[in-house]
Amino acid sequence: MIPVRRAGTMEELLQALDDRKQRVCPIAGGTDVVPGLRGNLRRFADYTRLIDISSLSPLQGISVDGDFLKIGSASTFTDIVNNEEVGQKAPLLAEACSRIGSEQIRNRATIGGNVVNNAPCADSIPALLVYDAQLVVRSIETERRVKLDDFLLSPYRVNKSDNEVVTAFCLPLLKSNMEGFYYKLSRRMGASISRLTLALLMETESDRIREFRFATGAVTAVATRLPQLEEKALHRPCTRDEFISLARSLGQCIEEMTGHRWSSAYKLPVIQQLFFQMLQKTYLNILRGK
Amino acid sequence: MAEQLFKVIGKSAVRNDGYAKVTGKAVYAADRQVKNSLFGVMVRLPVAHARINRIDYSPIEGHPGLIGICDFSDIPGDPYIGPIIKDHPVFAEEKVLSVTDAVAMIVGADVRLLRKLAQKIEIDYTALPVITEPLQALESGAAVLHNNKPDNIIVHHELHKGDTKKAFDSCRHSLERTYTTPFIEHAYIETEAVTAELSPLGSVIEITGSIQNPYSTRKMVAEVLGFPLSRVRIRQTTLGGSFGGKDDVMGLLSARAAIAALKTGKPVSIMLEREESIRESYKRHPYIIKYKAGFNDDGRILAMEADMIADGGAYASKSPFVTFRSFVQGTGPYEIENVDINVRAVYTNNIYTGSMRGFGAPQPIFAHESFMDEVALYLDRDPLDIRLINRLRTGSITATGQKLDNHEVTVGKILTTAAERTNFLEVWRKNLAHAKPIEHSQGELRTGKFGNQTYVLPIEYFMDPDEVWRKGIGLAVSYRGCSLGAEGTDAAASYINIQADGSINLQCGLAENGQGLQMTQILIASEVLGVSPNTITYLDIDTGTVPDSGPTVASRGTLMGGEATKRAAVILRKRLEALIRHEWNLQEEAEILFANGMVSSPADLDRSINFTSLCRLAFSRSVSLSALGWYTGGMVSWDEETGVGDAYFTYSYSCNVAEVAVNRVTGQVIIERVTAVHDSGKIINLDMAKGQVCGGVVQGAGYGLWEELTGDDGKVRELNFDEYLIPTSVDVGEIVPIFVEGKDPHGPWGAKSLAESAIECAAPAISNAVGNALGERFYNLPLNLEEVLLKHKLRPAQKKRGSAQ
Repeated sequence: MIPVRRAGTMEELLQALDDRKQRVCPIAGGTDVVPGLRGNLRRFADYTRLIDISSLSPLQGISVDGDFLKIGSASTFTDIVNNEEVGQKAPLLAEACSRIGSEQIRNRATIGGNVVNNAPCADSIPALLVYDAQLVVRSIETERRVKLDDFLLSPYRVNKSDNEVVTAFCLPLLKSNMEGFYYKLSRRMGASISRLTLALLMETESDRIREFRFATGAVTAVATRLPQLEEKALHRPCTRDEFISLARSLGQCIEEMTGHRWSSAYKLPVIQQLFFQMLQKTYLNILRGK
Repeated sequence: MAEQLFKVIGKSAVRNDGYAKVTGKAVYAADRQVKNSLFGVMVRLPVAHARINRIDYSPIEGHPGLIGICDFSDIPGDPYIGPIIKDHPVFAEEKVLSVTDAVAMIVGADVRLLRKLAQKIEIDYTALPVITEPLQALESGAAVLHNNKPDNIIVHHELHKGDTKKAFDSCRHSLERTYTTPFIEHAYIETEAVTAELSPLGSVIEITGSIQNPYSTRKMVAEVLGFPLSRVRIRQTTLGGSFGGKDDVMGLLSARAAIAALKTGKPVSIMLEREESIRESYKRHPYIIKYKAGFNDDGRILAMEADMIADGGAYASKSPFVTFRSFVQGTGPYEIENVDINVRAVYTNNIYTGSMRGFGAPQPIFAHESFMDEVALYLDRDPLDIRLINRLRTGSITATGQKLDNHEVTVGKILTTAAERTNFLEVWRKNLAHAKPIEHSQGELRTGKFGNQTYVLPIEYFMDPDEVWRKGIGLAVSYRGCSLGAEGTDAAASYINIQADGSINLQCGLAENGQGLQMTQILIASEVLGVSPNTITYLDIDTGTVPDSGPTVASRGTLMGGEATKRAAVILRKRLEALIRHEWNLQEEAEILFANGMVSSPADLDRSINFTSLCRLAFSRSVSLSALGWYTGGMVSWDEETGVGDAYFTYSYSCNVAEVAVNRVTGQVIIERVTAVHDSGKIINLDMAKGQVCGGVVQGAGYGLWEELTGDDGKVRELNFDEYLIPTSVDVGEIVPIFVEGKDPHGPWGAKSLAESAIECAAPAISNAVGNALGERFYNLPLNLEEVLLKHKLRPAQKKRGSAQ
């Protein structure tokens, strides 16, 4: 049994996390921590205390703050899905959050937990990555901002000390109207864990790709943007042949990153096909919008 | 009783147990707080096959949290259990044969502490080679798992009808295909829980728990304790699902708890967590099935060979009966003159397999219904046509030589009903014309530009959006022997006790396992006695009060229990009728009507009496108002040597049509609609019948697309529902149940079996629909993403649990 208490204020939380005699794990929805403790997973084994942050108001709330869409780390996926600002400013994130787990999971699980847990299949991360999300990370002494890409280290490990807590996500507002596509492949429709997730933001000019952001989840060890591929995409003409060529580049790119795994025979062909579908559909949507 | 006169039968009734269950008020086995109860935790080896050299309890002996240790040396009676073959040790003695085996059980008040202590016991063992494949077990020189079965064969059923060799020679065409099906977990939401305690006077061991079959459990416990049956009393708590799964395992757990209760003199409970439950409990048998058929251009199948191998796991459990059903129903609902069927169940070091909803039927039905589609395609015919040509009709002779002439055989009727309702033929032809196989080079390593091996797709394999989705429709039909048939003694009892105020207690010897059995019995008694179902209170099953009615299996609750209830009600009604005739001075043949809580007679229209007053009168006249109804079913016969006989006294019939969309990029299958047509005779409670069908279709869809337990050296990988995927409420589209009520002389008003028929056609209908969409065939369940796309399964190389990629 591990003791748990509720943090009443931010100050109380930060002090508790700073306690060198204890290893304190923040818990919000508990949808990763509780099964992890029950399953005696190693990454939870050293914790001696839990501190409940789910009702801390500084970690709540979703709003537009200057040039950013700011999402409190203890926002549940239901909060995010129901929020109009997210729907308008970051529709791929809304889509990603709506497909996580089940209704019951979405009512409890938080975006902060999803990112800090950093499972390879974390659904919200690819969407956050294409929006260039930054994290606000606080300790009793400091507050820092870190880009999500730099925050994710390796599966289930992130760039955060024990005395720190993620307080918010800041998504720079898109300057232009980029068309996007989010795709989640899972074995079943309800309460599903992703087999792979893809997030794409794209803008064209004179039928050539002008801006291109692409991230994958559950494909590589941690969800990631693919800068080499994004670079290749820039200025390409929007044609079927070019899209196929890009999809094959994606296949090569992933193959180089992961080598051949047990799942490659399925995932590598599928990701190329899906990416090709996405490019065609996104381009079609751009044409329709114009 | 003419059909139009039914008051409650065939209509929809709200279940008596519905409110308590839906509102969470129902008390389940693990909710019971038994005062001073101790708990038992199993001690196991981390391997599936080993010789035990020495068990050293000394590291935990004397620990204050440890109250007792039970192992094979503590068993007062028979150390082996088994419903048919006693080969399953309550505690392992010299060897373990599978990961379910418990070497010992430690007992104390704190489960968490016991789990830690269990790890500290030192067991010296020699690991032995693990047999995980039945074909491996059949090889000469394979390790012998049970000394009295040197060939590792648990049972071999064999029959020869006609002359297949001659018939095959005379046929223009023959086709042979092999199919496989996986291990399946029952996935009941409530895990196993049981408490054993001594009665206040100490003479009776009382077992209370999540027990599907109280009489089977009683027999096992009595044998293990060396007690007479009368000194073992089993009470069933509200059950959170079973699907055939809380049978042997509950006998085993009850026996262990009883041994510990006798040893410690205190109540002992065993409550399993999900991982323990999946590890401890038996599964559905995986099968390897080969069908071969000989036929001519007219589509008539003249010869059939079926060869099935079932993985029985480490212990026989119900394997002989499960495979008996596969064997009897081996040809499917088709009349074929020349038939050879061989079915073998084989020992391996896998978790043992036993009864599960469908009981040896879903495996061959997947195979023969896939096979029939292929025969149709081979002859350029359609799936409906090939089935109608070969179908069983009233008067047909089955593979076991049984003439089906005592009831209406409705295979043709349900097939045409299902086809008409779904516009099957037109849709099937249209889909097939658009069908497009998935290029098989998907997932194939090929040589890349620089000579390296690569999965990068060649340009020509990229699909445009309009090539991605394809629609499919598929059909499957089955017949199913009702109740136990020649598997065993078939009789059931129901006990009705009318009180002086006209309220009624009802108890059936068959158990409520969540299927709505209580309400079915209530409706039947209510119909006979002409009273509202609300006046009838159903009492939980208790082996101390109702005679042994056999197990609640084989979809026999309504057929056997229902007829027993009807008979008990008829006995009481006759007594009340006699009383009325006497009181009202009516002639002996005067008709007495029971309806809406009133009793009257057309012979004397001036008089009537309400049911309550009549019961009061009966009590004042010393008329007994309690009765036991007893039903023994119809005649069956069986010759073990030749495989000939009337295997079951009647049959029910079912047909599913599945409509799917298949994604050619990902291999995803979306089930859009399943139309399920059933002849289960007279329907008693329409809502529950629909519920059975919907639940069965969803469970069958799980079999078709998702569910599969995979092994790693005899250990199960999927120990919880994060990895063992069952369909959720959003995974199956519309389900349309349709009932065709064929006439049948057995059971209450001709009601027969539905529960298992409901599950058995979904997987083959879905697989045939995927085949229709893609224009290619599938042979191995489940049709998961990889199977559809690559035609084989992919397994993680890394064996540890977790959300592996």
